[in-house]
Amino acid sequence: MSEEQTETYLYKLEAVLEEGRLLTVVVLANSDERAFSAAENNILRHTVAPPHIKELSLVEKKPIGRQGVGYVIETSHF
Amino acid sequence: MAERKQWKWADDPSLNKMELTKLEKDGLDVIETIVNTYSKEGFQSIESSDMDRFKWAGVYQQRPKDGHFMMRVRIPGGLLNSEQARVLAKIAEDYGRDLVDVTTRQAVQFHWLTVESLADIFDRLAAVGLSSFEACGDCPRTIMGNPLAGIDPHEVLDTRPLVAELEKFFLLNREFSNLPRKYKMSISANIHNAAHAQINDLAFTPAKKTIAGEEVIGFHVWVGGGLSAKPYLAKKLDVFCRPEEVVKVAEGVTTLFRDYGYRQKRTHARLKFLVADWGAEKFKEELVKLVGELEPQGEDLLQGWNGGYFYGIHEQKQKGLYYAGLSVPVGRMDASELVELARLADEYGDGTIGTCNTQNVLIRNIPKDKIAAFQAEPLIVNRFKLQPNTFVGYAVSCTGTEYCNLAIVETKERMRALALYLDETVELDTPLRIHMIGCPNSCGQRQIGDIGLQGALVKTPSGMVEAFDIHVGGTLEEPQFNRKLNARITVDKLGPFLAQLITLYKADRLEGEPYWRYVERVGLERIQEQVDSILQTA
Ligand code: HEM
Ligand code: SF4
Repeated sequence: MSEEQTETYLYKLEAVLEEGRLLTVVVLANSDERAFSAAENNILRHTVAPPHIKELSLVEKKPIGRQGVGYVIETSHF
Repeated sequence: MAERKQWKWADDPSLNKMELTKLEKDGLDVIETIVNTYSKEGFQSIESSDMDRFKWAGVYQQRPKDGHFMMRVRIPGGLLNSEQARVLAKIAEDYGRDLVDVTTRQAVQFHWLTVESLADIFDRLAAVGLSSFEACGDCPRTIMGNPLAGIDPHEVLDTRPLVAELEKFFLLNREFSNLPRKYKMSISANIHNAAHAQINDLAFTPAKKTIAGEEVIGFHVWVGGGLSAKPYLAKKLDVFCRPEEVVKVAEGVTTLFRDYGYRQKRTHARLKFLVADWGAEKFKEELVKLVGELEPQGEDLLQGWNGGYFYGIHEQKQKGLYYAGLSVPVGRMDASELVELARLADEYGDGTIGTCNTQNVLIRNIPKDKIAAFQAEPLIVNRFKLQPNTFVGYAVSCTGTEYCNLAIVETKERMRALALYLDETVELDTPLRIHMIGCPNSCGQRQIGDIGLQGALVKTPSGMVEAFDIHVGGTLEEPQFNRKLNARITVDKLGPFLAQLITLYKADRLEGEPYWRYVERVGLERIQEQVDSILQTA
């Protein structure tokens, strides 16, 4: 088995937007920093007018490598 | 290699990948491979499928994944003799950078081990009747128990022989080395639920029943508890179990888990999912089919919950003899401290050291005339205190980023520092249990803390900052997990924030009211208001 310096994880992040909107973002990255910037990029891509992200937090990471690693995201009706 | 068994689920096409790995080669077979191959040929020689199986040997890769392992040693029922303690200390010194952790399930954990050292460590453990085997993996883990068994004024019978029988029956038993998932047992006859029954897969708690005119002391049986991201409280079966039936019932429950537990998805495999689907009634019916008729429930002898804490000097069941409950802040000590603890156990007690699920230790059988000298020992005065300060004494923490690959934040040192800060800042004369964890897996049992702190990373203009979500009101007294507040507190503010929250509780509470009960009485909304007002002024 080869020695790994970095491992890739599936990250779960939570974003609070200015208007109080909550987003859960899932990204693949091999460091916490990259997870944050990937999440920001994804949020940016997701919205037309750039949203103001009030708070962005990383709440969970799961190592990839096994089929089916994932998250369940609870959503609510608007 | 042992002959491969033809399990009844072997042909199920929907098995998860790990199940296929386990069918290909039993987890226990990795022990032989470690001893004969990997410990000689080194880390590079490890087959990736065997890396998963290392858990059956009780070892697990630590963070960073640079070839070091953590090892968990089983301490059945939390009882260890001084000779064993010295061997553990020497292993830590020789191979584990001097570090010994007492865990939330009464085990002892090492870090920094290399694969080359494992064969020697297995031998050293075996020489004193200890083992790391099946301390991790999909198998019966360390059996939790009452570290006061045999001397406890609050126990209705001595569970030591039962722990020994269970350990003997399950350890390295290939009938049960391939379970759908990890499997945690606890047995205690302490009436204050010393072994945290409701958060184990299978638990035995004290009970009595009059059968054919004779009063029998035995157990009630709980199944399907567990923490992690989806915590469940165990359900009590309508069963009374005589002491001589404990192994039979444990075998039955474990067989049900093995044969009917779910193997399709690892996230849906713990016994709790089977219990949730079947319900306690059907579970009992199936159990009876396997083990024969069992008496229905008797009188429950559980009264409240001691939290797993035993601080101070207390008289034992045996008049004139005392036990000493000591505080080991967040469960961490170095090898020399463990050696010193072994000396104290020999010199003052009967050589036994108890490990507690609160990450603490105790010493048993101290005669009255030795107590004063014991209390004056430097290790007791300076480090493992009999009466620790409130917050240091009731702080529990998981491993965190220091060694854990799943951790989002640092925990152990942080919890220690936080507890020190709170002890300096807030005066409180009743215990307030704070549990800290670095990710949702909950190794530090966040859900049962009066206050549970769970790590997250927050992005700020100056970079990533560690933070904690706040959960309140957990207890096993009237079993209830703590609940999340709307507050994610960055670590620079965590100490002052908690100090204020606790100060508000102090002002509001009824005489001696523990925090969990206070939360229950005033309600979560009231606590959220407190949080909001603290955050506004922060
Ligand atoms: C290197 C990584 C890890 C470290 C250092 C670690 C540490 C610990 C320790 C010290 C305990 C107490 C165990 C005992 O004495 O038997 C524990 C329990 C536990 N761990 Fe971990 N763990 C790690 C990885 C994991 C993973 C990968 C999971 C989940 C998939 C997990 C979930 C749990 C749970 C649910 C408990 C039990 C809490 C309870 O019900 O009592 N841990 N862990
Ligand atoms: S709770 Fe999470 S961070 Fe803490 S030791 Fe367990 S897996 Fe690691």
